[in-house]
Amino acid sequence: MNLRENKMKKLITLFILVAFGFTVQAQEKGSVLIQNATVITVTNGDLEDTDVLIRDGIIEEIGKDLRAPRGVETVDASGKFVMPGIIDAHSHLNGVDINEARNPVTAEVTMEESVDPNEVGIYHALAGGATTIHLMHGSANVIGGQGETLKLRYGVSQEEMKFEDASRTIKFALGENPTRVHGQGNGVQPRTRMGVEQVVRGHFDEALDYKRKREAYLEAKAEFDRRGRGTPPVPVAKNLRYEVLNDIIEGEILVHCHSYRADEILMLMRVFNDYGVENYTFQHANEAFKVAPELAKNGAHTSVFSDWWAYKFEVYYSTAYNASILNANGVVNSINSDNDQLLRTLNHEAAKVVRYGNTSVNDALKMITLHPAIQLGIDDRVGSIEEGKDGDVVIWSGHPFDIYSKAEMTFVDGTKYFDLANDADDMRIHINPGTEFEDGSNFRRIVDNREEDACLQDTFILLGEQSAHNHN
Amino acid sequence: MARLYFEEINAVISAAKIIIRTGTMKKYIPLLVLFFVGMSFAGLQAQTTPAHALTNVTIHNADGSTTESATIVWRNGVIEAIGTNANIPFDAYEMDGGDSLHVYPGFIDGLAIWGSPDLPRSQDLPRLEEPGNPPYDRAGIQPERKPSEILKEDKAFEAAMKAGFTTAGLYPNGYMLPGQVEAFYLSNESEDVELLKESFGLAGSFDEAPGGWGSGAYPSTMMGVMAQFRQVMFDATALQQHMKYYAQNPEMPAPDRDQVLEALFPLVNQEKPLYFEVDQKEHIERLFKLQDEFGFDAVIVSGREAYAKADELKKRNIPVLANIDFTDIPEWYKKQKEAEESDKKEEDAPEEEISDEEQNYREKQLEAWKAEVTNIKKLMDANVSVGYASAGMELKDLSGKLEILLDEGGLSESDVVKLMTVNTANILGINKTHGSLEKGKNASFSVFNKVMSEEKAKVLHSISNGTIHEFEGK
Repeated sequence: MNLRENKMKKLITLFILVAFGFTVQAQEKGSVLIQNATVITVTNGDLEDTDVLIRDGIIEEIGKDLRAPRGVETVDASGKFVMPGIIDAHSHLNGVDINEARNPVTAEVTMEESVDPNEVGIYHALAGGATTIHLMHGSANVIGGQGETLKLRYGVSQEEMKFEDASRTIKFALGENPTRVHGQGNGVQPRTRMGVEQVVRGHFDEALDYKRKREAYLEAKAEFDRRGRGTPPVPVAKNLRYEVLNDIIEGEILVHCHSYRADEILMLMRVFNDYGVENYTFQHANEAFKVAPELAKNGAHTSVFSDWWAYKFEVYYSTAYNASILNANGVVNSINSDNDQLLRTLNHEAAKVVRYGNTSVNDALKMITLHPAIQLGIDDRVGSIEEGKDGDVVIWSGHPFDIYSKAEMTFVDGTKYFDLANDADDMRIHINPGTEFEDGSNFRRIVDNREEDACLQDTFILLGEQSAHNHN
Repeated sequence: MARLYFEEINAVISAAKIIIRTGTMKKYIPLLVLFFVGMSFAGLQAQTTPAHALTNVTIHNADGSTTESATIVWRNGVIEAIGTNANIPFDAYEMDGGDSLHVYPGFIDGLAIWGSPDLPRSQDLPRLEEPGNPPYDRAGIQPERKPSEILKEDKAFEAAMKAGFTTAGLYPNGYMLPGQVEAFYLSNESEDVELLKESFGLAGSFDEAPGGWGSGAYPSTMMGVMAQFRQVMFDATALQQHMKYYAQNPEMPAPDRDQVLEALFPLVNQEKPLYFEVDQKEHIERLFKLQDEFGFDAVIVSGREAYAKADELKKRNIPVLANIDFTDIPEWYKKQKEAEESDKKEEDAPEEEISDEEQNYREKQLEAWKAEVTNIKKLMDANVSVGYASAGMELKDLSGKLEILLDEGGLSESDVVKLMTVNTANILGINKTHGSLEKGKNASFSVFNKVMSEEKAKVLHSISNGTIHEFEGK
């Protein structure tokens, strides 16, 4: 065996060991004692010189001079800040497909079945202090697919990435996207905003009708099977789409609705009031500030960009004060990325809310932690640093709203998934063996162009607008 | 009758081209004479077909052992005797292998698309009124299609036999539910490819509707396929229930019969397995999910990353018909190997200068490639039932891929033979007749000029269901 080969074998063995160790570690809940940090709890102010003990994935104790239990690693965070892991309520980071854009209503499809756990962008997001994302279906359809809330446990399977027991969610979309894709692209309803409303109402009505028929059938079938005589009922097949729509009406699924204009936001709230749908968040919602009191009255939430608009006609009217106005009106608002690059700097996006609208630092922090957690139905587990919550925390070199601060360590369930001091160049889990180095070295564009909301990604081909919206 | 007659002629010609003896005369006979003798003999013996005997050959058994100076006797497609002291019946056409020929059990392609109708071209697909609600066939849902009913002419059949295949599972090329799986005796003439085992499984994949994303029908994504698979299963369940009720209760409204949904009943009832073409480990996990919901038996077809799920496959008793359509060997690795294999001393070969970054990349690339080519070995080591399927790979690529499998995949020649014969026969459920050469089994085997893994090895004769196909000189 020559030297080169020997070296390579050693390296391969080492790599396998590292990879294997990583996997084992990833599947376990971790323990760590972070000492002497400024702890941004979000729900209980900032605590100076404080320790946070995470055991088996759960924050066990927050206090001073805590002792590390046997075998638990300690991290000295003197002069550093610890905050809850950032939560992005609107992401398409690692979807295999984003838009099942062939029908205006596709409630039956779910991003749970479109998760790519090998996407290296997960690691990049961890490097920006993010620990949870809401992986969403796109906005091509009035009622799109269901979403999946994921913890960024990089290196585990798609199943293990799932945020256990998170609420079910679904994507709705109003305005130009569904009318362009379906009305103009496919020649089916909806072609107008009026049509969008009718698609929602029509499908809710059909779903309710289905439910009555299906329940009547199952009842008659049970009766017939029990008695063994009479005339059996004509079977009504189980319908996945209508089952999901009924789950929405019954409040089992949180609605996240892509929307821009105030009039369409009001429209959907009227529709939801008619059908008794209560828990929903307006995504993007650039004109939400115009109807902030109405949103607050209905208990509706919003998830907005800090300062991005005018990228298409329906979103010309907006303001960088949107988040602050909503917050001042008591609307639970979050700041989202809808973009793989922005996901890595959501702390900056939240800081802008302080800069523009004088929202308090803690309220702005809530917009990337506790508020998205509320909107995803996971605020009992994450979104703040409290005893009993999950050990999803980030250690920052300085205050996270300081432009010079860096995320130094990111923990999910007490397990360290990112460590700036041990940050390998190439963190891909999966590469295609057919890709040569020259093609594989620039493996991911970290900075994406931001020409259009990512919700409609891939759908331009349907609109014959490929060239106009070519992202390259 | 006519067919039998031609078989005899064929057999005689084949026999004549090797070294020919008859059972009694023990004397070389010129080709033409034998030709006529054969014809008349066939005419006289129409009621009992004569036997064939191939003598003095090396038999490579499915279990990896070899038998030298062996004889195989077969009649009517069935092996009558095999071994070193097989009795040669008086009426047998005897062919002498001259101790130089190698006989392998006929290779079985677990699932191929040979003879399948062409896929529609995107531009030919009709524009739909409702892209969200296309007809079943437009959505790629065609479980009613049987290869035996739609098989068409395909040059691949002859190429397959030349590569040593005598038997294959076939399914129609298509999309999410392309049709049924059936096994066939191969022949070099497409019209002589005969059904061996009728519809014993359904084929499936996560392929979206024809035309893909651009040309428009639901389901156009994998998650859409998952949902639509469930919906057609629910619809089939309801139709079956309706048909059952109606059969007993003619006073109720009649069901709308539907051949597409009815073809899914065996899957709903867990009576036939789903042969599912899938590669990525995440996709395999998605298949597990569907299996958990509907309880059908599954066979994984292709399964490039099946090794990553080996334990789960074992637990679920899911066999794999593995594809060997490996990614090409990384160029730098190929060069490195060539340099090592050549006699050049290390100093003579110029050391390539590469950056640490590239070196790291190469290690990852090689690791990924090795994982791919050792897939079958890892599955075998984990005691997963693993056979072979071309699953769309072209036959011209076979020898190169087999070479990789032998050089880098950790398999020996006997492992490969086992993989492509008895293992695959077990998975297709045709092991009572196929997959090994034994008395009473089907006479399907290939005669190679040398050991199959040696250079310039080729098939001279292929015997499928007892019929001799001749390739020498072609």
